[in-house]
Amino acid sequence: MRHVCGNTVSPALVADPEPLAASAETRKKEGFLSRGRPIEPVVVENLVRRFGAVEAVRGIDLHVSAGEIFGFLGPNGAGKSTTVRMLTTLLKPTSGRALVTGHDVVGAPDAVRRSIGVALQDAAIDPLMTGRELLRLQAVLHGIDKHEGRRRAGDLLEKVGLTAAADRRVGTYSGGMRRRLDLALSLVHEPQVLFLDEPTTGLDPTSRVALWDEVRKLNRESGTTVFLTTQYMEEADHLTGRIAIIDEGRIVAEGAPAELKSRVGEPALRVALAPGVDRLAAEATLLTFGEPVPDAPDHVAVRLPGGAAQVGAVARALDEAGIEVAGLELRTPSLDDVFLLATGHRLEGAESSAVLEEADAER
Amino acid sequence: MTGVAQYAALSRRAILNTFRQPTAIVPALMFPLLFLAMSSAAFERSIALLGFPQVDSFLQFVIAATIVQGALFGAVAAGADMATDIEGGFFERLIASPVARSSILAGRVMGAATLGFFQALLYFGITIVFGLDVAGGVAAMFLVALTAGVLAAGIGSITVAFALRTGSTEAVQGSFPLVFVILFISSAFFPRELMGGWFKGAATLNPISHMIEGLRFLVIEGLSASKFLTAFGISAAVLVVGLALAGGALSGRLGSRA
Repeated sequence: MRHVCGNTVSPALVADPEPLAASAETRKKEGFLSRGRPIEPVVVENLVRRFGAVEAVRGIDLHVSAGEIFGFLGPNGAGKSTTVRMLTTLLKPTSGRALVTGHDVVGAPDAVRRSIGVALQDAAIDPLMTGRELLRLQAVLHGIDKHEGRRRAGDLLEKVGLTAAADRRVGTYSGGMRRRLDLALSLVHEPQVLFLDEPTTGLDPTSRVALWDEVRKLNRESGTTVFLTTQYMEEADHLTGRIAIIDEGRIVAEGAPAELKSRVGEPALRVALAPGVDRLAAEATLLTFGEPVPDAPDHVAVRLPGGAAQVGAVARALDEAGIEVAGLELRTPSLDDVFLLATGHRLEGAESSAVLEEADAER
Repeated sequence: MTGVAQYAALSRRAILNTFRQPTAIVPALMFPLLFLAMSSAAFERSIALLGFPQVDSFLQFVIAATIVQGALFGAVAAGADMATDIEGGFFERLIASPVARSSILAGRVMGAATLGFFQALLYFGITIVFGLDVAGGVAAMFLVALTAGVLAAGIGSITVAFALRTGSTEAVQGSFPLVFVILFISSAFFPRELMGGWFKGAATLNPISHMIEGLRFLVIEGLSASKFLTAFGISAAVLVVGLALAGGALSGRLGSRA
């Protein structure tokens, strides 16, 4: 174990924190520089934000590559929204530096605003206006001419499935419709980077998955880089290609979700024993496959290095040994486990993945 | 052209918002008319009092005050709408876009001005049906409406400044009684010539009195450059003060993010 920014963190979870000031040669090799300017859409170096005595963001470094969906995962109050507000020029950093699409958020805020789309928490949409009116207004605010604004409004309404409701006041929209409209509003000027701050908080599972689909489609079809904050590990897991986990203002883990989970440990197979089955016999059979994991008296669990590929073999071995089982469950490490290992506590607001997975599967 | 389009779009939104909120449009549009109807009926015989200006009817005397009252009420709605934008997060949407910061203010202020202008013409239209004679004719009606528009913009700027400072719709709406007080401690509903004591002193100090008297002259007596310029000048001065306050408040709100 080692300390990163004051937090005790498993070394396995920390991606190589290449500093922003890495040698030009190194970064050029990795495609970071183009004619001396960073081509990464989001580059953050030692960003700090204090509110009086409270340090909400404590010196974070981030690099987001063009075209990726980057997740910023953390519990409430971890510093996610404060970071997004700094990156979208709504809040000035106390110290540190952030470049968005190559523009400094403090030195060139207008250039940043022209190149980004922002959908903040709670879908701040004027309820008295219609969806179409809001899209046209947003186009004008971004300097798009009337004719082009009309065209884009129509296209975006179609894209997010709101054409039928386009001329209804937003106050009559459901939560999911408002979020979809919010997404459309943030896209009207075809931004290079889209910031989504907890875009699905408060949505039902079906609406949440529908929004995930929209984001995936947008990323796939137009190559828009997406910077997404979330407190839902399922969202980070299903939607993003790479994540940074933030807790108490510090980044405690960074990498692809699968990579982070694989660093936590091997999957575990949990066997629910049928009533009256000899536990010792079951343990003896299972221990030939992996190390034991403590579990309830009517369950036996072992690490299963081979994961799902080994489950069949385990089932056959149990059958051959005459051990009757009530159920088998293969548990792979979750991002919550990653978070637990990195911080020593569970992610608040983590909710049952089953509901969301079910909703996702239905689509 | 982009800047003009942004001003126009945000002004249009401000006007639409007002008309789409019955709770905002009723006080701004209907209360002054109701007050006009009641005061015309109740005080009709007061025009015979010695010292009362020579008018055809109390309606002719009070119409200028009604128009100013409508402009003031509408202006409070501008501040309340700005506060609603702040509370609801729409203000952040605006400042997250590359729109000129001045457009955010100008949109609201132009919205209030447009409402004040057309509201004045509407009041003239309604009261002419009920027998109002405007001595200065169409030109006077236009000048009165123009002054009302500028006043609405000025008071609107002050309420917008209040909204930007407090970020609270309730606080802005709480300023509504103040508008009543400013209006009642003036010669809006009774001539200064018939007032006495401290009230007359206060009404004389109140610039609204001089503005209304200037507008009233255009209605009762006819066109007068000096009377119009007095009224318009006071409205313009309120606008200058209001814009300065609103500009400072906007800078303060944006600066609080530093």
